[in-house]
Amino acid sequence: MAPKNPPPLVTGVSPKEGPPGTRITIRGEHFGDDPRDLIGLKICGMDCLLSAEWKSSSKIIARTGPGKGKGDIIPITRYGGKGSCTVGFRGYFLQTGPLQESAVWIDESQTVRPNLDHGRPTAAMTAKEEEDPLGILDEGDKAKLSEEELLDLFQDASGSMSLENFSPGWYLMEHHQNASFEDLKAGLNYMKRKASQRSEGPITIVRSNLTSILDCLESLSAMYEKYTEDDIRGNCMNSYAVLLMQAKSCADGLFQEVLGRKDKADSTRNALSVLQKFRFLFHLPLNIQRNIQKGDYNMVINDYEKAKNLFADTEIKVFKKVFREVEWRIANFRDMLYKRLKDPQNTLDEQKKLIRYLVSLEYKGDPAWECLDNQQKWLIELLDDCKDDHIEEEKNSIQESLAQSQSSNQWKPIGRVNKSPTKSGLSRESSFSSLSSADHQASWKFKTPQKVLFIEDITDIMLQHFPDYWRLGQSYFTREKTEKGVKIDTSKHGKMKQMMAEVITLFANYVRAAFLPESLENLPDVEREKLGVWPTSAKQEHVSGSWLPTCVRNIRNCANTLSALDSHGDSSMIVLNELAFDMRTNCMFTLLKQAISDVKCLHTKETWVVETDDESGGTTQLPALFENIVNETVQHLHEVVVMNRAPEPEIFSQRPIQKEATVLCSQLLQAFSVCMEQLVFTPPLQKTEAKPNVKITLGQLDVELDQHEDSIPSLDKRLIIMLSNCSHTQFVVVPRIIENLTKHGYVEMEKALKAAQHTYSDLDSRLFTSYIEQKSDPILGVMEHNMYKGSFSWKTWKNTTEVRNYLKEIIMSLIEVHAEVYSISPKFVMRVMKKITEAVSEELSRLIECVQDFNAGGAIQARLELEALQNTVRIYSTPHVQACFKAAFDCIPELSDEGKEVVSKLLDKFRSRMKIQLMCFQQEMFTSTVKKANLTDSLC
Amino acid sequence: MSKTKAQQPAVIHKVIMVGSGGVGKSALTLQFMYDEFVEDYEPTKADSYRKKVVLDGEEVQIDILDTAGQEDYAAIRDNYFRSGEGFLCVFSIREQESFQATQDFREQILRVKNDENIPFLLVGNMVDLADQRQVSVEEATRRAQEWKVNYVETSAKTRANVDKVFYDLLRLIGKYKLTPAGRKALSQNAANLPSETTGCSCVLM
Repeated sequence: MAPKNPPPLVTGVSPKEGPPGTRITIRGEHFGDDPRDLIGLKICGMDCLLSAEWKSSSKIIARTGPGKGKGDIIPITRYGGKGSCTVGFRGYFLQTGPLQESAVWIDESQTVRPNLDHGRPTAAMTAKEEEDPLGILDEGDKAKLSEEELLDLFQDASGSMSLENFSPGWYLMEHHQNASFEDLKAGLNYMKRKASQRSEGPITIVRSNLTSILDCLESLSAMYEKYTEDDIRGNCMNSYAVLLMQAKSCADGLFQEVLGRKDKADSTRNALSVLQKFRFLFHLPLNIQRNIQKGDYNMVINDYEKAKNLFADTEIKVFKKVFREVEWRIANFRDMLYKRLKDPQNTLDEQKKLIRYLVSLEYKGDPAWECLDNQQKWLIELLDDCKDDHIEEEKNSIQESLAQSQSSNQWKPIGRVNKSPTKSGLSRESSFSSLSSADHQASWKFKTPQKVLFIEDITDIMLQHFPDYWRLGQSYFTREKTEKGVKIDTSKHGKMKQMMAEVITLFANYVRAAFLPESLENLPDVEREKLGVWPTSAKQEHVSGSWLPTCVRNIRNCANTLSALDSHGDSSMIVLNELAFDMRTNCMFTLLKQAISDVKCLHTKETWVVETDDESGGTTQLPALFENIVNETVQHLHEVVVMNRAPEPEIFSQRPIQKEATVLCSQLLQAFSVCMEQLVFTPPLQKTEAKPNVKITLGQLDVELDQHEDSIPSLDKRLIIMLSNCSHTQFVVVPRIIENLTKHGYVEMEKALKAAQHTYSDLDSRLFTSYIEQKSDPILGVMEHNMYKGSFSWKTWKNTTEVRNYLKEIIMSLIEVHAEVYSISPKFVMRVMKKITEAVSEELSRLIECVQDFNAGGAIQARLELEALQNTVRIYSTPHVQACFKAAFDCIPELSDEGKEVVSKLLDKFRSRMKIQLMCFQQEMFTSTVKKANLTDSLC
Repeated sequence: MSKTKAQQPAVIHKVIMVGSGGVGKSALTLQFMYDEFVEDYEPTKADSYRKKVVLDGEEVQIDILDTAGQEDYAAIRDNYFRSGEGFLCVFSIREQESFQATQDFREQILRVKNDENIPFLLVGNMVDLADQRQVSVEEATRRAQEWKVNYVETSAKTRANVDKVFYDLLRLIGKYKLTPAGRKALSQNAANLPSETTGCSCVLM
């Protein structure tokens, strides 16, 4: 390494002195061009390169090492080599003595004494200053008075300030003999200033010169010992000893305060070190609080455990005190946790955590159990509240609506417009019978029924909180099992179950009280009171069937979810399942009943518009409506009632329910017959009109009803329409419905089918009979009268020229009936015509039989007419008809050949004349086939 | 104490910077020594600088002791003053208080040095901030005349009169050292130093 550059030179140092570690700024030149150029730095012989910070070629900042005394600052650079300096640094050890105030704690583990050996510049300075208290320097030492002269002047005095007999005069004479008065005055001022600057007075002197004073004292006592050993002048020594003692006691007094302070400092230091050592404990109360605020409960518990292990059995008062505080805080904390635990809004996890905390905090008692208990109470309360709220609401709204319907005893159109959101029309129909209640119900449907809201809320509560509660309970036992050393309280197991069951039963009972009050009848009244009595306002049910499925769905969901919790199939869940089952059956029955009543009310729907198709013949839309109602109901029921989920029992598994369901089904099927019958025999118009007319003032419905009136056909027409409907229902609709029902799982439908078939056959026959009566009566009634019209007599009749009019009339009537039936349902033509033909032929043969005597002409006439009729209705002839005709023919005397000829001639004439009319009978089959062909053609 | 310095010029003039805290003593010193102006204020404790200068064709060494202006260090000031041969008493023209404090410094120096003719310059610093002037030139000049010293206004920032004050003082010191009083003071100083540490304790007791 060949230095090419000039060596570094230090020309400035700031500061120029200080204790080790002083940060100094070194200035000079040629410190290098780069921090890396500086390869060495020595301050007072100590290498300080590590702390050196190269700033520029003229500036380095470094920290001094432990060098002591005045020394050089020598930087070494890569290219300049070892440097030199014009200024030096003086290192000294800063000592904070026992008498100096210090802002920081000084390690005084070393005793104070050795420190006193180090001289301090301040001490020397103060001592020197005292040399000249007036601040007036002597102007040379000429003309100084000698000690003897002064002694003469001031007897028993001394010029030394440190002596008791100090005399200012002596001092001034000794030191400032030549000073002017002004100088002395200035000196006095200076002294005053000095004194005020250091108000501490003599103690300061002693303090700042403690070392020397102690040295003196020591040497004095050493001297004293020496003297006493030698005991040269014993009596002298006495006063010396006394003085020494005095000095010592004086010093003691002087330093009592200081020593006291030192003791205090020591004890404080001890206390501090104890604090430091056991900082953990002392900080604990604060830490606990802080951690609690932060929510770091684990930390709190860990700390507490630690503290408990360390200090629980401590005998030291301070620790005891602090530990007491810790315990107090922990107790508070525990209480807080406990309170939080009682807050039932916590989530499951939170609760588990809290319980764990409480357990680890050694909470007395069983927090988990208490929590469970508490939770249960809360749940029950929640259910209670829910129930009470809803009952209250219900009552209110009932009162409201009652008031409403009472105040306005009028029909409200708006009430009619409101419809159930799920089923339009149907439920409205069901309530149609009673208008006031329809109004009421409409207002019910306008908003969701209270009970439905109730069921939604209460199931919500259950679903939200019960699973957590259950899991908490489960984890309570599993935890106890897994945690070693914790007793497993088997009695609690049972109790737990009981509590769960209690909640569930309560829930179930609440629901029952709302929906199935009958099922609670075996409970005592008081208990039922508790479960809530739902006000029963009107005669009809509050919750229409349309809402029930929703409720059932809710309950089933609830039951399913809760049952899923318990895989072992606990008994408590059975209650729920029973409830769900009951709800389902109730729903089913209600819906079925409602369907029945709906069907019964169907007659109001009849429009009497006949639609004809070839399969079923002419029907109105009524059977279709009927089918719709049934199918819709079945659909509703299917979703909620019949469809089973895994753990639920089959709804038809129970015999009574099955039976009842079947009965209801067949009732439902048969209900329609009632409706039809009603339609025929008591036209709905009169019924509906009778009531509304009283109340209805508005025109709208009147118009509607008028239209009804217009369209309502006559009884015979109604009869034949219903007949057609009936047969359609019997043979098409009912089997279809039955099929549907069976498909949906309804059992024993054959019975229902049979019963229904029976009913409809009944109805059919009744309708048929009355229709026949309706039709044949007018024909038969006028037959005899017409036969003997124009004072006709079989005995006297001569001139048989043609078939008489009465027979033609009969034939015309028959054609009329035929047309009517045909227009409704061609299927019935044969059946009806046969019956009527029978009746006609019967009547005719009766009439003929009643004739006592025929002359030849009469016989010809009778035979002609009988044969004409017989020919005409041949296709409708039955054995009975033939028998009747035979009897009639038997009564007529045998004709002559001539007569037979006349008859056949006239018959031909009759046929050709009545050809068109007769075609109705003769070509019946043909025309119908033609019609059919045409129809299919047009369809295609 | 190892003196390794090779060639030491014979003459060393010891200059001491005095004045209140923050008036710019260190700034003046650093400007003089290294031609740099330090903006940030860091109270000085006691800094030492020494360099060769050529004064009127003669090479001399100037030793500058930059002292603390703060009252905290008042106690150790005496010690420093004792070794000083010339004083630059600095105040800030922006600060009346610092001007007033020069009175005390002057008194203290005279007390320690015990010579009214000790080389001394009254320096009004920060003349670059003349718009904030609180001490008028007249006021300062009057006091300087009172003390029979010169008054110079400087700016450590602009280096105005910086060299002047130091060179003027060096000349004063050079002259003073040739006077009998100066020689005496020098010798006394040399004699006093060893006597300080011995024997005083005995007197006290």
